[in-house]
Amino acid sequence: MLTQKFIAKIEGHGELAADFKNEKARLVTHEGERLFEGILVGRAEEAYWITPRICGVCPVAHNLASLSAVEDAYGIKVNETTRQLRLLMKCGQNLQSHVLHLFFLALPDYLGTDSGLELETKNPRAFKNALILKNIADKIVYAAGGRNVHPTTTTMGGFNKIPNKNELQTLLNEMEKTAKTAEWTAELSQKLEYPELKTDLEFIVIKNKKIFSNKNESVNIKNYKENILEETRDYGTAKFGKFNSPSGKREVMAGALARIALSKNSAETAKKYRLDFNNPFHNIPAQLIEILKYHKLAVKIVKKLLTAKMDGVIAKPSHNPPLRGVGAIEAPRGGLYHEIHLNEKGIITHANIITPTVQNLSSIEKSANTLLKQTQNKTETERKKLLIMLIRAYDPCLSCAAH
Amino acid sequence: MFALTVLFLIMTKLRIIGIKFMNNKPKIAIYDFTDCEGCEVKLVSLGKIFKILLKKIDIINWRLGQERAENYPYDIAIIEGAPIRKEEVELLKELRQNSRMLIALGACAALGGIPSIMPEADRKIWYEKIYGSGYAPKGIDAKPLSAYVKIDFSVHGCPIDENEFLRAIEQILAGKKPSYRGHSVCLDCKIKENECRIIEGKLCIGPITEGGCGAICVSGGSPCYGCFGMREEANISALKKIFENIADKKEAERYFSMFHSRSGLS
Repeated sequence: MLTQKFIAKIEGHGELAADFKNEKARLVTHEGERLFEGILVGRAEEAYWITPRICGVCPVAHNLASLSAVEDAYGIKVNETTRQLRLLMKCGQNLQSHVLHLFFLALPDYLGTDSGLELETKNPRAFKNALILKNIADKIVYAAGGRNVHPTTTTMGGFNKIPNKNELQTLLNEMEKTAKTAEWTAELSQKLEYPELKTDLEFIVIKNKKIFSNKNESVNIKNYKENILEETRDYGTAKFGKFNSPSGKREVMAGALARIALSKNSAETAKKYRLDFNNPFHNIPAQLIEILKYHKLAVKIVKKLLTAKMDGVIAKPSHNPPLRGVGAIEAPRGGLYHEIHLNEKGIITHANIITPTVQNLSSIEKSANTLLKQTQNKTETERKKLLIMLIRAYDPCLSCAAH
Repeated sequence: MFALTVLFLIMTKLRIIGIKFMNNKPKIAIYDFTDCEGCEVKLVSLGKIFKILLKKIDIINWRLGQERAENYPYDIAIIEGAPIRKEEVELLKELRQNSRMLIALGACAALGGIPSIMPEADRKIWYEKIYGSGYAPKGIDAKPLSAYVKIDFSVHGCPIDENEFLRAIEQILAGKKPSYRGHSVCLDCKIKENECRIIEGKLCIGPITEGGCGAICVSGGSPCYGCFGMREEANISALKKIFENIADKKEAERYFSMFHSRSGLS
């Protein structure tokens, strides 16, 4: 049977090819090529309707990245209500994706079950809380985006429809009821045992329209294509990305652990939650901690919206727009880049998409090789299990990677 | 008495599409071909209800959800995604032969969906543009499951509506043949008190599309591209005529081809 070769409980179809003797591991992507960049060419600004379909786990991130790319191309400046509602959608998205990844894909390894659904009998509290969090994350995205998967309310320049104050108040009440559960996840990060691994991780993150690395380097997002280099490998349908900084081309890790490592309070957070920035397995506690962070941020945004005047006006294109735009966003798994060029009739002539998993794939293989070097005393079965747990910890999204 | 029992068993077997589950749970496999996996995410959104459903069914193979992966035969194979790679097409045929019932989950499986916008003839150019020359492609074409095998039922949508999935499973568990709603998206729109897009002079495939989606896209201010599939008695030519008064040919073509480039509609 064909299914057996795919790694269970990761987004998309991946196969682990490990050479235990020579300590080399590969993650082979078996997604079919959907050729999204080709699909977009010849279509109109509806890119933001099409690209969410790249990935059902992070569709909101693709929707927002495409919106931002087409708005950049049309020289559109959106209003404050739009900005806040989109930020709210992003919080909901990162919550949805982290909860799904943690409780249904990665954490069963740490909580002693096979499927996330089995947690109900073996760890009823974790199961109950996972459902509470999934539910509130979905509600946040529903409130602003119209649907939990593939948004329906967003449009170029703003929103077709914005929530009214009653809807926002109901959402706030629900969020406040779930605040304790979000705190519980951050505490849970301290109760799990993560495998040991010592690597030299380099992180990458988007902040203030710049791409930052922890090697103290930064580049403008407009230059993303020169700074995140993609290469095709003769195995698999996903490309592999590397950070091409002024000082060289290197494997980088993107996502929750990277965001915490490059945040203002990184040392404090690391101390409080015993985070190890040299161990990629710690992307799991990092996501658990981020659940609390995004939950708090979502509460803050809704409170702000409740006191502000809601502006439902859709912003118009500027005169003589550049017709070329780049949209970049910190998606659940890290920096996501969409670039769109249009002709004067508003038809897309060129599109380029670089996903977080493409960036992570190179780092995954590098860490996997290191893991094999550091586990020589273990049996092949144990090493294989650790490799799969390592891949899951990176939270790869192979649908995104191949797109 | 024995003869009667045998007769009863045969009759129950024949009553519905060959599936009557006597006391035991139907063995279900959930497969995903190339796609976004958003319809499976919608299944997880069912939360507690999904857990209750698990008391009535036995999911013996689900790559995204569990390590447990039992081989066929299956009572029901639920398939999400479009088979793009040759291996996926082969697996689809294998699953058809070894499952009593085959259900398409979502627009990619049922209609070809977004991936099928890419014409087969153009794939070569795009492989080269995206992956570079010398790349050995793995995909053939993105077509709906029905291009290769017979489908017993489609749970439509991009993504599916999880309650429509439940409705179909409930019907099957009750020994019935799963059925479509039998009305168009227009009824959903009326219930939601949406303004009619066509009256407003906007394109809409809702009038010829199977209902049950709750008009979620139109309610959010987005177009209806007909992801719930065409109704059986759809008057396509009449709608196309209306489209001529609303948009130019190219725009109308783009509109129809969002989900329907391989469904015979565009």
